[in-house]
Amino acid sequence: MGNAAQFTEFSTLFQQVVNGLSLGSVYALIAVGYSLVYSILSFSNFAHGGFLVVGGYICYGLFTGFELNVFSRHLLTVPAGSVWLAGLGALGGAGIVAVLTERLAYKPIRERTSMTLYLLIASMGVSIIIENIFVIAVGGRFRALPQSMFPSGLYNLGWGVTASSSDVLSLTCAVLFLGGLQFFLTQTRWGLAIRAAACDLRTAGLMGVNVSLLIAIVFFAAGLLAAVGGVFLSYRYTLYPQMGGITTKAFVAAVIGGLGSLPGAIVGSLILGLAEMLTTGYVSSQMRDLVVYSLLVLMLLVKPAGFFGKPVSDKI
Amino acid sequence: MSALLEVRDFHVSYGAIKALQGFSLSLEEREIVSVIGSNGAGKSTFMNAVMGMVARDRGEAFLDGRKLPARSFQVVRSGLSLAPEGRKIFAPLTVLENLQIGAFSRAKQSGARADMEWVFYLFPRLKERVRQLAGTLSGGEQQMLAIGRALMARPRVLLLDEPSLGLAPIVIRDIFNELRRVNEEGVSILLVEQNARQALLLSHRTYVLQTGRLLKEGPSKTLLTDPEIKSAYLGKGQAP
Repeated sequence: MGNAAQFTEFSTLFQQVVNGLSLGSVYALIAVGYSLVYSILSFSNFAHGGFLVVGGYICYGLFTGFELNVFSRHLLTVPAGSVWLAGLGALGGAGIVAVLTERLAYKPIRERTSMTLYLLIASMGVSIIIENIFVIAVGGRFRALPQSMFPSGLYNLGWGVTASSSDVLSLTCAVLFLGGLQFFLTQTRWGLAIRAAACDLRTAGLMGVNVSLLIAIVFFAAGLLAAVGGVFLSYRYTLYPQMGGITTKAFVAAVIGGLGSLPGAIVGSLILGLAEMLTTGYVSSQMRDLVVYSLLVLMLLVKPAGFFGKPVSDKI
Repeated sequence: MSALLEVRDFHVSYGAIKALQGFSLSLEEREIVSVIGSNGAGKSTFMNAVMGMVARDRGEAFLDGRKLPARSFQVVRSGLSLAPEGRKIFAPLTVLENLQIGAFSRAKQSGARADMEWVFYLFPRLKERVRQLAGTLSGGEQQMLAIGRALMARPRVLLLDEPSLGLAPIVIRDIFNELRRVNEEGVSILLVEQNARQALLLSHRTYVLQTGRLLKEGPSKTLLTDPEIKSAYLGKGQAP
């Protein structure tokens, strides 16, 4: 009897850990891009959530053959059902939207002032604009990516613990994309330039780095990673124009890990995912946001720079 | 035009404040030219204007008779590179990575390896610390790294903004001796310095800048004994 109870106890814990890692990996994809932009331009890009919405809708549109609304059905007929086309379109499209956002909204401000507060306010505006473009164009209703998009099924991990194939897929994709980013940043010439720019953007320009192009590359990467997160969120939960709101969680994760630090964003995201799922499993799902934001406040009180962040005085 | 670098009539202002009011300068191949002046004379503004880091109201610069482009990454590509004021090394990157980023602008990365050996030959201390984070270096070593990083671009003219800043006198002497070696290797140098004595001792010719305008120019040897320069910039009875 005692053994059986212990067994159930353990499998609940393990199940929630698996769920937490899966959720955390999606947060990580969002938080890393957000943190990357922060590390270069030192402002919180609140339009980041918009990029995952763009990714989600492009994926939905391409996969279902643009059944988003009446007009586009007549304009474009794309062979529906190609996961690869839908996925690549979503990543590329969101990357391009991110670059355009920077060029149209942030660059003109950057060239006039060094106060990052204006960029922050502009990003809030862009976030609302993106949201409303989708409300007008495709309507505000909730959608979900067809379940046929990804292979379904459950993996039995033993001891009664299961992982859905979408969990496994999102974890795998997160590892692949974050690993790819890490490779890019550490092994390529532009990656080195980005790391130098994160330290001092002006001096990076003195090294012969085209700073405008570098910023565009950073935004493209951030948009692309956000879209990966957006696709998985719209597959597992729902797709709607305000879906970008989940980015708040990624912000929290980035702050816990240390703003501007990429390993910090990943660690923070996993902590957050685990905290949410363990709260759901052991307390109640209504408490999860309370726990998440309490963690944020606690972190700001105890270690304001986060786990991997630079001390605040160094950021000036 | 025979000069390697020719700067003509630079005007730069920050709002209502005029930082440079018509400053011109020329530098010959293999020459060391220094610009001295007190704090706020416009020395750093001049360097930043040459590098395209600040916009100028008027004036042009030519390298080898060709007009210098406006944006700084293009200026670096065309053959100037700056070791900026305050060194500005990338502290969280390693010494090696700092040198690699210095070679970013070069079309062919293959030459960078040979140049790194050349930088290590000039600054052996950097080779010993190649895997170390740049932020852990001493002030003098950081200055060497800033100079080495600028040399990795294989510039026609090496620009140095206040290389003596914040360093102990003995370290300053080391750095200036190394700069002489760099020049003997064939690199032309444009130096901006508040430490007038060291600048005059190192350079062939010197321009004296005062509140954005040229006060005097001439061979450094002559200026070293000029009574006006002596009283205003060199102080009295100082050992060299």
